[in-house]
Amino acid sequence: MIELHDLTKDYKTTLAVDRLNLHVRAGEIYGFIGPNGAGKTTTIRMMGGIIEPTSGAISIGGIDLRKDPVAAKKMIGFVPDRPFLYEKLTGSEFLRFIADLYAVAPRTAARRAEELLRQFALWNWGNEIIESYSHGMKQRLIIAAALLHDPKVMIIDEPMVGLDPEAVRQVRDILKELAKQNVTVFVSTHTLSLAEDLCDRIGVISKGTLLAEGTVAELNRAAKTGNAGLEDVFLTLVREG
Amino acid sequence: MNNAVWTLLQPRLIDAANGFRSRASGIRRLLFLLVGLVFWIGAFLIFYRVLAYFESVQDFGDILAIKLLSMMMLTFFTLLLFSSIINSLSHLYLSRDLSLVHSLPVSVRDIFWARWLGSAFDSSWMVIAFSLPVILSYGWVFQAGPGFYLAAVGAVLCLCLIAAGISSLIVLCGAALLPAGKIRTLFVILGVLLALLLVLVLRLIRPEQLVNPDSFASAVLYLNSMQALDRPWLPTTWITDVMRLSLKGKWGLSGFNLALAASCFLFLLFLNDTLARLLYFRGFSRSQTTAKRLFAPLMYRGISWEFPLGFLSRPARAVAVKEIRSFFRDSTQWPQLFLICALIVVYLYNFSVLPLDRTPISSVYLQNVFSFLNVGLAAFVLSAIAARFVFPAVSTEGEAFWIIQAAPVALKTFLWIKFFLYAIPLLILSEILIVASNLLLGVTSLMMIVSVVTIFCLVPAIVALAVGLGARFPDFKSENPALSATSFGGVLFMLLSFGLIALVIILEAGPVYKIFMARISGHGFSFWTILWFILSFAFALLLCVFAVFFPMKAGEKHLLAK
Repeated sequence: MIELHDLTKDYKTTLAVDRLNLHVRAGEIYGFIGPNGAGKTTTIRMMGGIIEPTSGAISIGGIDLRKDPVAAKKMIGFVPDRPFLYEKLTGSEFLRFIADLYAVAPRTAARRAEELLRQFALWNWGNEIIESYSHGMKQRLIIAAALLHDPKVMIIDEPMVGLDPEAVRQVRDILKELAKQNVTVFVSTHTLSLAEDLCDRIGVISKGTLLAEGTVAELNRAAKTGNAGLEDVFLTLVREG
Repeated sequence: MNNAVWTLLQPRLIDAANGFRSRASGIRRLLFLLVGLVFWIGAFLIFYRVLAYFESVQDFGDILAIKLLSMMMLTFFTLLLFSSIINSLSHLYLSRDLSLVHSLPVSVRDIFWARWLGSAFDSSWMVIAFSLPVILSYGWVFQAGPGFYLAAVGAVLCLCLIAAGISSLIVLCGAALLPAGKIRTLFVILGVLLALLLVLVLRLIRPEQLVNPDSFASAVLYLNSMQALDRPWLPTTWITDVMRLSLKGKWGLSGFNLALAASCFLFLLFLNDTLARLLYFRGFSRSQTTAKRLFAPLMYRGISWEFPLGFLSRPARAVAVKEIRSFFRDSTQWPQLFLICALIVVYLYNFSVLPLDRTPISSVYLQNVFSFLNVGLAAFVLSAIAARFVFPAVSTEGEAFWIIQAAPVALKTFLWIKFFLYAIPLLILSEILIVASNLLLGVTSLMMIVSVVTIFCLVPAIVALAVGLGARFPDFKSENPALSATSFGGVLFMLLSFGLIALVIILEAGPVYKIFMARISGHGFSFWTILWFILSFAFALLLCVFAVFFPMKAGEKHLLAK
C-alpha cells in the first residue's frame, strides 16, 4: 500500500533522508522510530505530500504521489507532529472544511463529524473556536479530521504527544481497529513501548538511512541482542549504525 | 535602563544583528535602502519646493509654512497614537513569547519597560524617518542654524515618546477593565475610534480652505484663520512651536516648549510606571484566558457562508468559507477595515470640495485631467490595500498550511481561490470609487468609460501580483503575517505594482488626451494615430494579462518546491 523507492531529501546543508526504500502492506501497522534528527518527520512530510523529495518515488495505493498528488492524497489521513490548525474556525467548522476538501458526501460528513467529535470527547466543544482548545484537544481534533474521509492509509507523526492517558488508549485502540479494517497505518514515534505494543513491523532510521526493519524479534536478530526489549535493540542499532 | 530590561531586550537586538549579518539578506537590504533613499529624497524635494514657493510669497508665506508644519504634526501624532496602541497591545499582551518572559525571574515592571521600549521603537521609527526630510527642508529653506536641527529632532522624539506613553496608558487601562478573554475586542473599539478620529482630524484641518481664500469675508479674516493658534494643551502645539520658534532664533521660548513636551513625557513615564505595577500583570493574566468571540457565528442564526458560495466547487468553497470566517473573526483586521472605510469617505469628500470652478484653467479640461489622474490614484490606493490584505493572504495560512499541502487540492486551485476571493470585492470597491469620484467631478462619458475599463484591467493584475508574490515570498512562521507587507516581498510587490500602474497610465495618457482634445475641437484621426491608439491600449492590456498569470505561476512553483 505504501512504497518508498530510493527516497532522498537533501537540504543542501543536511542530507535528511538518504535513498530510503520501504514497503508497507495493506492492513499493516508500521512503526518508524529513530533518534532526534534521524529523518523521520522529513520522511513523513514527504509521504504526506507536504514537501517534495529531492529524488526517489512515493507510491500510495499504487498511485505515484509526484505524478498524481491529488488522487494519492485522497487516500491519506495525515496527522502531523504539531497540531497547527485554523484557530478562528470552530471544531465543527474545521471538520466541515476538511469534508469539503476531501469531497465527502455532505450527509456522510455530518454524520461522521458528529461520531468523531463524540468519540474524541469534543462534542461539547464543537461550536467553540479552536483558539480556545487545549493542546490535547487540538491533537484529538486533527486525528478526528484525518479519519473523517475514511482513509486507506494513515500517516501519523507522534500521535500521542499532548494526549491524556485515556486519549492515548483510545487512539491506540482506533489504530488497531483501523488495521483490522485493512487500513495501512504508518506511525512515527519516540514512545518505544507504543511501537512495541502497536506495530506489526518497525523500521529504525538514523542519519537518514534505514538501519533495520521487521518485527521486534527480527530486530533483535539484526542487533544481536537476544530477547531484549525494543529500547535496548533501538539503542544498540543506533549506536552501531 | 537597568540590567533586567537590557537583558530582556537582548533577544530582539541579537535577532536584528543576526538578520543584518546574514549574507542572504544582502540584496534585500540593498533594495530596502534604495526604496528608502528614493522615498526620502522624493519627500525632501517635494517639501523643499513647496516651502521655497511659500517663502517667495511675501508675509503670507511664513504663515502657510507654519500652518503646514502644524497640520503635519497633528497627522503624525494621530498616526503615532494609533500605531502605538496596536503595538503596545501586541507587545504587552498578545506576543507568543510573553508566556516565557513572564516565567522568568524578573519583575513585572522590568518586563513592562522592556516591552514598552520595543513597542515605542516599532511604532515610531517610520515617523522619525519621514520627519527627517521635512525637518531638513524647513531648515534649508529658512536657512536655520544647527540649533534648529537639534531642537527639531528632540521635538519629534518627544512627540513619539508622548504618543507611546499615552497609548500604553490606554492599553493598560483597557486590558484591566475589559472582561477576561475579550482583550482583542480592544482592536475593534480602536478601529471605530480611529476611523472617527481620522475623519475628524481631516475635517478640522480643512485643507481645501488653503486654496480658497474667497470663502472668508476679508483677507484679514483669512490671515487670522491661518495664524490662529492651535490648542495650547495639545502636545503637537508645543512640538510645532519648538520648531517655529527655533526657526526664528527665539531659543528661550523654543526651549520652554521643548521642556513642556519633555516634562509631559516624563510625567507619562511616571504614570505608566505606577499603573504598570498595579495593572499590567492583572491585565496580562486576563489576556491568557480563552479568547471569546465578539459576535455569535452567523451559522446559528440560520445564515452561513456556504449558501451564497454554493456555486463553487466543494474544495473551492471550503477554502473560501474558511478564509472569510478567519478574516472576519480576526479582530486585529477590523481597525484597518474601519480605517479603509474612513479613508474612502475622506477620498470621495475631497473630490466634492475640489475648487475646480475657481481655477483659471477650463473646468471641463481640468475635470477630465483629474478623472484620469484619479485612475492612477485609485490604483495606488488599491495597491496599498493589496499590500496590507492580499499580499499576506498566503502567509496567513501560517503553520496550518500543512492542511492545504496534505489535502487533495492542487496548490494552483488554492492560489486561484485566494485570487478571486480578494479580486472580486476589490474590483467592486475600486469601481465604486472611480464611478463615484467621476460623478462628483462631472466628467465626460469618454473619461468615465476609460477609467472604468482601466480599473477593471488593473485590479486583477494588482491582486494577482499580490497573491503570486505573497506565495513566492511566504512567511508561515510569522506571529503577525500582516507585517509581511513591509518585508522584502511586500516592498517588491509595491514597487512592481506602482511600476505597472505607472506604465498603464503612461500608455493610455497619450491616446486619451488626443481623443479628448479631438472631441472638443471636432478633429478626426489619421491611420497612424489610430494604430498608435490600438497599440498603446493593447500593450496596456497585455501588461495586465501578464501581471495576472506570471506571478501566480511563480508563486505556485515556489510553493510546490517548498
